Amino acid sequence: MVEYRIDRRSGVATYLQIVQQTKQALRMGLLEPGDKLPTAREVVEATAINPNTVLKAYRELEREGLVEARRGLGTFVRATLGTGPADSPFRGELADWARRARAAGLDREDVAALFTSVLKEHFEGDDA
Amino acid sequence: MTRDGIALEADLLGKKYGGRSGRWALRECEFALPAGRVCALVGPNGAGKSTLLALAAGLVRPTEGAIRAPAREQLAYVAQEKPLHPRLTVADTLRMGRELNPGRWNEDAARRVIADELDPRALVHHLSGGQRTRVALALALGKRAELLLLDEPMADLDPLARHQLMGLLMADAAEHGTTVVMSSHILTELEGACDHLLLLHGGRIRLDGPVDELLSAHTLLRGPVGDLAPHTVVESRTTGRQLTALIRRQGPVEGPWETTEPSLEDLLLAHLRTTEGAPA
Amino acid sequence: MSSLALRGPYWVTVRQYRRTLWLAGAAVILALAVIGGLRIWDLQTPDVHVEGGFTHPADDNRGYGTLRMAMEYFSMAMTLLPLLVGAFVAGPLVARELESGTYKLSLTQSTSPARWLGSKLRTATAAALLTTLLLMAAYALGWARVGGSSQLHWSDRGSYEATGTALLGHVLLAVAVGALVGQLIRRTLVAMAVTGGIVGLVLLILGALRWDFLPVTTITGPAVENASVLSMPEDGLIMSQGLISTFGNRLPGWFCFTDGTPVGACRTDEPIAAQYLDYHPQSHFWPTQLIETGIVLALAALALFAAFRVLRARHP
Repeated sequence: MVEYRIDRRSGVATYLQIVQQTKQALRMGLLEPGDKLPTAREVVEATAINPNTVLKAYRELEREGLVEARRGLGTFVRATLGTGPADSPFRGELADWARRARAAGLDREDVAALFTSVLKEHFEGDDA
Repeated sequence: MTRDGIALEADLLGKKYGGRSGRWALRECEFALPAGRVCALVGPNGAGKSTLLALAAGLVRPTEGAIRAPAREQLAYVAQEKPLHPRLTVADTLRMGRELNPGRWNEDAARRVIADELDPRALVHHLSGGQRTRVALALALGKRAELLLLDEPMADLDPLARHQLMGLLMADAAEHGTTVVMSSHILTELEGACDHLLLLHGGRIRLDGPVDELLSAHTLLRGPVGDLAPHTVVESRTTGRQLTALIRRQGPVEGPWETTEPSLEDLLLAHLRTTEGAPA
Repeated sequence: MSSLALRGPYWVTVRQYRRTLWLAGAAVILALAVIGGLRIWDLQTPDVHVEGGFTHPADDNRGYGTLRMAMEYFSMAMTLLPLLVGAFVAGPLVARELESGTYKLSLTQSTSPARWLGSKLRTATAAALLTTLLLMAAYALGWARVGGSSQLHWSDRGSYEATGTALLGHVLLAVAVGALVGQLIRRTLVAMAVTGGIVGLVLLILGALRWDFLPVTTITGPAVENASVLSMPEDGLIMSQGLISTFGNRLPGWFCFTDGTPVGACRTDEPIAAQYLDYHPQSHFWPTQLIETGIVLALAALALFAAFRVLRARHP
C-alpha cells in the first residue's frame, strides 16, 4: 500500500503529486501488478485534499494504462514501470557517475543542479 | 427545493439588516453550486459570508431574491461561534443529534469526529474552542446531510486537528458525495480541499466557479510594460520598467512576457486587492 | 425527572433544563414536608371545646401558630409562582437560546421551528402545571386546617388563587407571555424582568377587578345606631355597607359614635331610612374563579398565537 504525502508549497498540482508518487512507487517496486491503490476516501482522510483530485489522479494513471478501476472493488495496479528496481544497470551507472562527480569536488547542490538541467534538456515537454 | 444536480442556488439574493435604513449585508447574489462540490466561501471579514450561510441554512429570510437549498432535514449547518448547549455533556449532545434527526442519524460518523479526543462525560461548558468545534462538526456529520454549511469551521483548531478534521470532511464527501460549503478568511485552510470557489466582497460575489477553471482562465505575467489588451486586467503593478499583472485571458497571450498559472492565493489576493474600496 | 420515555425535542428540553426541573421537584417536596410536618405538630395539642359544640385551637398550640404563619408566606409564594414560571420561559427557555445563538443549532436539525418552540412550551407547561397542582395540594393540606381564620379568608389574595383554578390559568398565561416576550426581547435578563412585570401586572389588575365580575348580594335592614344589625352569612366577603336615605340615596360608610343621637339619625343632613350591606357569598367563589380563569386563558391564547406568528415571521 502506498501513502501519499501532499506538499502544498511545491507548486506542483496536487493531482500530479499523486500521479508522480504512484509512479515512483511503481518504479521502486513498492507497488506491483495486482496491488490495490488506497480508496479515494482513504487518501482524502489522510491528506485532507479534495476527493475529486484523487479521482482525477487515478483517471490519469488509468489513462496511462498503469492502473485499472474495478467496479465496486477499487483501483488496481496493472503494469509496472520500467527501469525501477534498485539493481538495474542504469542505477549502477548513475551511482558510478555520482562517485566520480564527488571525487571531482562537486558538492550535493552542484550535482543536483547538473542533474536537473540534464533532465530538463532530455525530457522537455513530458509532464510527470 | 433545488434543481437536479444543483445543491445550492441563489437568485438575486439580498439581505438587509436593521430595517428600512439598514445595511445590505448581501446584494444581488447569483450562483448555482453543483452537487458534490467542496466550495470555499472566501472573502474578508464582513463580506457577507456568514449571512449567506445563514440564509442557506434557512435561519433567516432573504430581504429580496431567493435561495434554494435542500430541506432542513437534508442540510447541516455549523455556525461560526459553534453554538452548543453548555449544560449538556458531549454524550448528551450526540444523543441530541440522534433525537432531533430521527431516521438520519449516523452514530459512527459522529463518533469518528469525536475520536478519542473527548471525554463523553465532559460538559460542553468546560470544552475549549477546538473541542467545541469537534462536537459541532460531529453533530453536522452525524446528521448525514446532503449539504454541509460550515462557517469558519477550522478557525479554533490546531494544525493537527485541522488536518484530521478536514480529512474526515473530505472522506465524508468522497463516500457520500456530500456538497460542502466552507467559509474562511484564511486561504491556506481551504487550498487543496476545495474544488469550487465563491469569493464575496462587500456583500457581492466577485468570483464564482470551479477552482481549476478559474485558475486556468487567469494568467500571471511578468515582463516589460505594455498594452495588455484584449485581456481583462485583474491587477497590475509596475516597478520601474517591469510589469507584473494578473489577467483573465481573452485568447492566447502574445507578447514578451513570462507567463505562469497563478496559485489560488495569487488569484484571491489580486481580486481582493482590486475590489478593495471599489464601489459595492 | 426520568427522561427514559422521552423522545426527540422533548428529551432535549428535559435534559437541558433538568436542574430547573429538579428544583421544582425539590420545592414541591419541601412544601409538602413543611406543611405536613406542621399539621402533625399541630395535632399534638388538642383543641379547646367551647359552648355550643364549637372548638378552637388552644392558645399554647405553637404548631397551629406556626402553621398559620407558614400558610401566610405560602399564600404570598403562590402568587409569585406565575411570575417565576413566566420569567423562566422568557429567559432561560427562549431568550437565552436566541441570545447565545444555540437556536442556530436547534433550528438546523430536522425539527421545524414550530415544533422546536412547541416542544419547549409543552414541556414547560406540563412541568409548571404539575408543580402548581402539587403545590396547591400542599396548600390545601394546610388550608384544611387554617382556612377561614384571619388573614386566610377564601377571598384573600394568595389564598383565593391557590385554592381555585385561577392560579393554573395565570401559570399558563405566564408560559405564553414568556414565549412571546422571550422572542421579542432576545436578552435573557431583560426578558425575564419584563415577563415577570407583565404577569404580575395582570395578577394585580385581575385581583382588583375580580369582585366586579358578579353582582353583589345586597341585604338591607333598619338603621340602628352603633351596630350593624344586618347578618351576613358567616363567610361572605363584604364589598360595601352604609345607609340608605329616605330618598333612596346610598350613603356609603357609616357608624357614628357620637352618643345621644337619635336612632337611625346619625347623619343629620339626610333622613335615614335603612342600612345596606353588599357582599359576595362564598358561593361566588367558583363562578368568579372560572370567569377569571377564562379571561386569563383567552389572554394566554392571544399571547401564544402572537408568539408563533413572531416565530414564523423570523424563521422560514
